[in-house]
Amino acid sequence: MTTADGSVIGTTQIFGSAPANRAFNVVLLAEGFTAAQQAAFDTACATFLTAFRTTPPYDELSPAINVFRVNVSSTDSGADDPTSAGGTGATARTYFDASFGGNGIRRLLICNNTTALTVAAAQVPQFTVVLVVVNSAVYGGSGGSIGTYSLAVGATEIALHEMGHTAYGLADEYPYYAGGAETGHDHHPATEPTEPNVTINSARATLKWGWAVASTTAIPTMSNPDCSTVDSRPSPVPAGTVGLFEGAHYYHCGAYRPEYDCKMRNLSVPFCHVCRQVIWNRIEPLSTLPARDRTPISVVARYPEHLDVFAVAANGRTMSDWWDRSSGWAGWFQVSGGIASPGGHGSPVTSIARYSGHLDLFVVGTDNRIYSCWWDVSGGWSSWFALGGLIAATGSTVNVVARYTDHLDLFTTASDGKIMSTWWDARSGWAGWFQVSGGVAAAGATVTAIARYPFHLDLFTVGTDNRIYSCWWDDRSGWSGWFQLGGLVARPDSTVTVLARYPDHLDLFTTASDGKIMSTWWDARSGWAGWFQVSGGVASPGSPVTAISRYSNHLDLFVVGTDNRIYSTWWHDTTGWAGWFNVSGGIAKPGSEVAAISRVTEHIDVFVVGSDGIVYSTWWDGSGGWAGWFQLGIT
Amino acid sequence: MQDVSQPAVQGAIRLIFEHDADGVRLVLQQAVNLAVTGFDVHPDVRPGHYVEIRDAAGTALTRVPVHTAFTGSTEVFPEDHGEPITRVDASGQPGAFTVVVPAPEAAAQIAVVRIAPAAPSAPKPGAEMRSPAPAEPEVTDLASFPIERAK
Repeated sequence: MTTADGSVIGTTQIFGSAPANRAFNVVLLAEGFTAAQQAAFDTACATFLTAFRTTPPYDELSPAINVFRVNVSSTDSGADDPTSAGGTGATARTYFDASFGGNGIRRLLICNNTTALTVAAAQVPQFTVVLVVVNSAVYGGSGGSIGTYSLAVGATEIALHEMGHTAYGLADEYPYYAGGAETGHDHHPATEPTEPNVTINSARATLKWGWAVASTTAIPTMSNPDCSTVDSRPSPVPAGTVGLFEGAHYYHCGAYRPEYDCKMRNLSVPFCHVCRQVIWNRIEPLSTLPARDRTPISVVARYPEHLDVFAVAANGRTMSDWWDRSSGWAGWFQVSGGIASPGGHGSPVTSIARYSGHLDLFVVGTDNRIYSCWWDVSGGWSSWFALGGLIAATGSTVNVVARYTDHLDLFTTASDGKIMSTWWDARSGWAGWFQVSGGVAAAGATVTAIARYPFHLDLFTVGTDNRIYSCWWDDRSGWSGWFQLGGLVARPDSTVTVLARYPDHLDLFTTASDGKIMSTWWDARSGWAGWFQVSGGVASPGSPVTAISRYSNHLDLFVVGTDNRIYSTWWHDTTGWAGWFNVSGGIAKPGSEVAAISRVTEHIDVFVVGSDGIVYSTWWDGSGGWAGWFQLGIT
Repeated sequence: MQDVSQPAVQGAIRLIFEHDADGVRLVLQQAVNLAVTGFDVHPDVRPGHYVEIRDAAGTALTRVPVHTAFTGSTEVFPEDHGEPITRVDASGQPGAFTVVVPAPEAAAQIAVVRIAPAAPSAPKPGAEMRSPAPAEPEVTDLASFPIERAK
């Protein structure tokens, strides 16, 4: 009945080739198999592996999954089966001390969890979940920190359900505690469950899985007419419809599940869409991100020891990764199920931190409407929601400025090229979209904005004649008309990058029609200067210029050159412009954008889509210079 | 892309705890070369049980959730999968759980904590409307232990 009743024979990896330190590692432990019965354990592991690999979404996540079997011999075969719980009275001397009859229920099969976890840690230190396979044909199993199941037909389903709790924190979706005949489970308490797959919220706009609900699906989708019992009627909608189904989290009413059925509700049914997405977001961060080639990456430092990065995956999913000094890179995950418009270069996810505990995101969706969501330290991610009815130019960029903490100004281009804006204010909410001073942008051009003061905005874009235009808003005078900045002819899809090193000064960067990297500046004392080429630089067609200012007298620029190498230069007031240099041998996708941020003055973090389509990063530090590029994922 | 390097995985520690009606005990702490995903080290505050890593001054550096311990009940699975899964009371029964936590250089202490939902603060009459300040969670220590560093 102890570890003296057997021995650990050895460990064999039976599936996967992912590096163990960046993988979802499943460990199967043999219990109640004698030394002569190890082949039966091997067969049981193969059976589990087949069930596991064919269960969506695991069937699509294989590259990040390893499965190990740990052969352990026991003195006796099987498990204890006490008569007090209706068993045979058998006793078995086994390594993990497995026994049927937990809590007096025969099919509640339990074992020594501490021993199981300790053996797994010794054999596969990087294990994610542990499953104990008990050598008995009697049906049984249990969950908790480890999953335990027997060889009876269908018992592997217990393991898959329990992994839902152990690895992903999924809630039980069944609407009863003891099968439905219990008392005290008519109405769910008025506290929102923290798990991602159950809720007490029936409002479509704030539903935690609202991203997965079609606008044509009724909310609630199914309500229980008699809360004294479980609603056993069939689903009113086709299988797989995500909505709001009453009866979940052990209560007949007041709590909802995303689909009519799910493996977290019943064994032998598939995981619902929401649970599959949660599983994706636990395992996918172990991989790197193939990104849309030319869709810009956005990066925000909510505070100096933290970065949030946003990119669009090759298949359009809105993705994020974050770095924190205390935990490193978190790995890529999909933000609230979002999909970005594939038009043009692909709509990017733009982001802003109005304060350190909050993020606001914006993107053009596949229906070319503008969507937003937020993350808050006290509530996590919201669902995406549409901002009015504006139909944007396909793949356009939404630029955002926070003139102060409780206010946002948004700018984008409509499907007919009109330059459009809206704002949000904490006191009044979202305003309607309006055209800014009659402006129309060239096809593919973006609208950039900057707030030099809380009461002032400056806008820049490329007009339909491919000239650079600007206008401003001031709370004393409203919107100005658009005016042309010199005679520069820009690429029609150019971005005008703007920086304010101090409030009465602007630096602009863009690319001319021949690809030359051009700049001008405005100063309150001298007005606009003429355009000039920056250090002879020429950009890859379509690649915008990225600029950051670490000091009021210093600029750093980044661009993809005509040879698709990643280049940088700098300007310092005492030395002027430096020559362009290749950053750590980096090569990017043609026409792509370099994202850069300085979270502390002597440090720069840079992000690109590399020549192989994977997102890369490097950094510069004043004490060590440029680091090498690394594939951005998890550390 | 040239000169590419794979970043080193930050240090982490596997912890195995036992718990029963008398409290929580740490039975294993083991350095492990494993990347901990943001899925577990989520920066937003959610109620529940966590293992928290703190520096020598007691400041929380990072925390990971404990998904399956302290639930007070256990599941019983039907042999006929068309029948309901049920739960039975398991309050106070002994159990064990494991987590892997990032271990930054400043890590000095381990704490098992319970985080309760932050009570919403009442709006101040006449005050200028502001975005809500991040609510401070109510963190209760269940047990704490020193981190043992390899010499």
